[in-house]
Amino acid sequence: MKCEWVRENITLHVYGELADDARHELEQHVARCADCAAELKAEQEFHALLGEEREARPTPNLLAASRMKLQEALETAEQGGFWRRLAFDPANWLRQVNFSPALASAILMVGFAGGLGASYEVFGHQPGTPATTKAPAPAEASITGIQSITQEPGSNQIDIKYNTVSTLETQGSLNDQRIQQLLLFAARNNYNSGVRMDSVDLLTKKPDVLQVRDALIYALQYDTNPGVRLKALDGLGGFVKDDVQVRDAVLQALVSDSNPGVRTEAMRLIEPVKADGSVRGVLMTLAAKDQSQYIKSQARTMLAQLPEID
Amino acid sequence: VERVSENRDPTRDRMAGQAHRIDDTILIREAQHGNRAAFEELVRHYDQAVLRLALHLTGTEQDAQDVYQDAFLKAYKNIGSFRFECSFYTWIYRIVTNLCLDHLRKKNVRKEDAPVVKDCDGGEYDLLDQVPDGRAGANPERDLMRRQLGARISGALERLTPRERMVFELKHYHGLKLRTVGEILHTTEETAKNTLFRATQKLRGQLADMR
Repeated sequence: MKCEWVRENITLHVYGELADDARHELEQHVARCADCAAELKAEQEFHALLGEEREARPTPNLLAASRMKLQEALETAEQGGFWRRLAFDPANWLRQVNFSPALASAILMVGFAGGLGASYEVFGHQPGTPATTKAPAPAEASITGIQSITQEPGSNQIDIKYNTVSTLETQGSLNDQRIQQLLLFAARNNYNSGVRMDSVDLLTKKPDVLQVRDALIYALQYDTNPGVRLKALDGLGGFVKDDVQVRDAVLQALVSDSNPGVRTEAMRLIEPVKADGSVRGVLMTLAAKDQSQYIKSQARTMLAQLPEID
Repeated sequence: VERVSENRDPTRDRMAGQAHRIDDTILIREAQHGNRAAFEELVRHYDQAVLRLALHLTGTEQDAQDVYQDAFLKAYKNIGSFRFECSFYTWIYRIVTNLCLDHLRKKNVRKEDAPVVKDCDGGEYDLLDQVPDGRAGANPERDLMRRQLGARISGALERLTPRERMVFELKHYHGLKLRTVGEILHTTEETAKNTLFRATQKLRGQLADMR
């Protein structure tokens, strides 16, 4: 019975899927039972045999081609309607309120109760019983929203949770983790392109950090400002040779960036890796049918310098 | 157990690292509001693993690319209905595995007409597996042996049922926990364990002479 149980569970053991107690039991048994030990050895050898083969990974070319094809398809793809139902549509919302008196009354009551609560906060507490304000009163302009309002039953104590926005300042060197985090955030999220430019400019001094490189790739691919994209490109230039993701991003910029300056710079950066299969493929496409005469002629020149492939 | 750690997939590790760096949740929410750039960023967190799985299961770059494309387009169109009830990782794998299972089932039907012959021991093999791949190598003899081994393994894998193949692929080559495999395939961990056991037994039987 024990041997049967062991044989049924040897596969799971080899894959590390046995619970700790079962694993212990199995190991104890195998140490004593020669047949089961042989079975375990056979299973491990079989595992190794399969592991040696089929380690096929997609080539960078296949990945780049798949990404480009997907991007093209996404241009015309439309999303399903579910998110639209969730998105806040004021006109639709008002229509609903209009046609549902019960909802309108409920909103009115909540509003009234809210007003009442606010007056309790301002006027309601008795002298000598201080209101339990855990935070100093915020300036109205810094309140970004009220999370919840609750009143303790039978008292006039009101608990309000609210969010505020305040400007904070921090200082540190580029090696400081906090500074890096803020720069990464600014590079992706700031609406002011000047701030994005400054952050990307600083990040280009730290391209060895993987997070920074990802942020630069993101900026190159998605930033709306060509100046920011150019800066990101400058920062990535040194990694075109060794990092396939960087190479893919630069190739993508070369093929599809809307700004001629960015494309020209991308063209210059791929020069050292022009013999690479994916780069050669892109160059051939550009040489054949790119709209820019300059890019077309540069691509042809680069291709002409390459050895023939038979 | 050590073998399992050796089998860990670096693509997945890198993917997991990236997932920490940029919160997927933010990207998903952005994508749900129609932000295509956010969706493309999300794609980049997962697409290497997806393409690898598709390449293994379909066997050709063209089919793998089709599965990749269909999977992410489907994800894009349906991301609005993603409600964070499972991880995005599980969700995207569910889409890909379904597409791959469809592909394997169709392939199995087509395979009935494929040029299968019997060798001297009575074992079946596919004539197409015997076609050399034409790549030059430093050691032709070793290359030949490796190609033969690869062909035998591919043949054995193709004889599994699509579901057995999928469980084996996700566990053996992608190193996923059987609990996750169960979630992806809408089944229990116990069923995934039984399926893996069955698949391994079949493979061992078919490749017994290779050891």
